Amino acid sequence: MRHYETVLILNPELGEDAYAEKLKKFGGFIEKEKGIVIKIDEWGSQNLAYPVKKFERGFYVRIEYCGEPGLVSRLERETKIDDAVLKYMTVKLANKVDPEELLRKERQKAEKERPAPEETTETAEREAAVEERPESPQEVSNHD
Amino acid sequence: MTYHRRKICRFCADSNFVIDYKDPRTLRMFTTERGKIIPRRISGNCAKHQRMLTVAIKRARKIALLPYTTSTLR
Repeated sequence: MRHYETVLILNPELGEDAYAEKLKKFGGFIEKEKGIVIKIDEWGSQNLAYPVKKFERGFYVRIEYCGEPGLVSRLERETKIDDAVLKYMTVKLANKVDPEELLRKERQKAEKERPAPEETTETAEREAAVEERPESPQEVSNHD
Repeated sequence: MTYHRRKICRFCADSNFVIDYKDPRTLRMFTTERGKIIPRRISGNCAKHQRMLTVAIKRARKIALLPYTTSTLR
């Protein structure tokens, strides 16, 4: 299985419920296509570096998942149809991974963060970024 | 001819300093005010890290974390 991550920029004017619903929808889609969702990361509403579809802000979400090669094109088709998604990008993190191991690591990380959430989050995130970074992730798609 | 001290690649010098397209704050240090990528001869990065950096900056631009240019704004 391949390890991917997709960053979505959602319409900033939707409510919390709508985001949860969208995430459930895309998560469900990945699972339906025999992929495994590793992590869903909500970055929240952020200023965009340039306006996208006339919006100055966007709600960022990162979905980390494993799947077979055809999954990405089907998922991107789905995101293209959905008009809540302003922009998206998928990056391949690794070619061959064991999804079970990634899930286990993710769970361990979550447990480590729990005892002292206030102070350690920043460094833990840094470490997480290091761990997740493979040697040379290749961009999967170039749609704009 | 003036002699310039060879700058060291900051990514080689500090292994905690990672290149990640999701971290626009770090990437901004290697772009100009106008959003252009600073060349290697100025920043002093090594070839390997400059390559990784350009890919990261271009990805960050794609998902609107970094600007392509600032002329369209303000």
